[in-house]
Amino acid sequence: MTALVTIPTFQTDRLTLRAPMTSDFAAYAAFRMGARSVTVGGPFTEQQAFHQFCALFGHWQYHGFGRWMVADRESDAPLGIVGLYHPLGWPEPEIGWSVFDVAEGRGIAFEAARATRQYAYDTLRWRTVISAIAPGNTRSQALARRMGARQDGHFDDPSEGKIEIWRHLSPEECL
Amino acid sequence: MGHRDIPVLETKRLQLRGPDPADYPDFKATFASYRSRFMGGPLNAYETWMLYAAEIGHWEIRGYGMWMVHLKDTGETVGMAGGWFPAKWPEREIAWIIWPHQAGHGYALEATDRVRRYFYHDHGWETAVSYIDPKNLDSIRLAERLGCTKDHAAPSIDGNDAVYRHPTLEALQGQIGHGVAMEIAHYQDPLFKPKGFAVD
Repeated sequence: MTALVTIPTFQTDRLTLRAPMTSDFAAYAAFRMGARSVTVGGPFTEQQAFHQFCALFGHWQYHGFGRWMVADRESDAPLGIVGLYHPLGWPEPEIGWSVFDVAEGRGIAFEAARATRQYAYDTLRWRTVISAIAPGNTRSQALARRMGARQDGHFDDPSEGKIEIWRHLSPEECL
Repeated sequence: MGHRDIPVLETKRLQLRGPDPADYPDFKATFASYRSRFMGGPLNAYETWMLYAAEIGHWEIRGYGMWMVHLKDTGETVGMAGGWFPAKWPEREIAWIIWPHQAGHGYALEATDRVRRYFYHDHGWETAVSYIDPKNLDSIRLAERLGCTKDHAAPSIDGNDAVYRHPTLEALQGQIGHGVAMEIAHYQDPLFKPKGFAVD
């Protein structure tokens, strides 16, 4: 038997970070197929979105960490995907965030990304973490800045080309 | 979703297990190669890893998926076989892939026959198809050796693939299944040295 990992769940003031569920797929696919996914390599077909949805779980299984479905703490409605992301070939794991249309402009990504950073430092005992941001993605750059991250070089991804590395505050700086 | 374990299946020569991080290099090499041209490849490093993660995650979402096929003798991997059912596909598919340097030993036949019997017996499937590019002659040949017939009436994924329908459990308990078992037994026989081109 290969046991499948259990994705941990936790809550912030307004959000639940939990395992994705099949019922989240429509909201996830709408984002991946929509115009706003251009900063994460999209828009994608529904087929690709399904593979990517599967890969959310596979990532947890492969690495033991991954991204959560961010849901409204009251209604449990899916709002976005935030968490720790490390496709093989990337120089380091990152805190990644994508929020669906309904969640834009409400600080959802900020709240979930801060919780993810805390998880990386407190639970996984990481000493550092980055965010990988496409050069033209000004909104994500602004969010990284708001979290206190500083730009720290770049790397070349075979699909996306040049990607900026934004290094987050260290565990000590977050105290 | 509660599908907590990937079962281990066995045949005479093979052990089928959940895909593991350690098994990734052979998968990556195959999807970087021309071998993957009928499965959406060749893929770059990022795309390949995402697909591998998707292969694993499919188990969580559907409760079944693709197994990694190992040789019992050496533990090395030779390919993958199992069930595949992305969103909006017309039907559940039985799928396989054999690493290019492992072709020609009947491993795909032996593994796919095993997973098909698992789906019929343990998951209660009454039918299954394989969607195959009409130019993918190796896979069409394997489908036919597995007793599949081309189903002209069944909807394809996007019109560019042919639909091969697998025999029912009942048919597999008769002459078709006997023929498949006999061919697998030939490959399992160490004295069997097939001539001509390699088949999976």
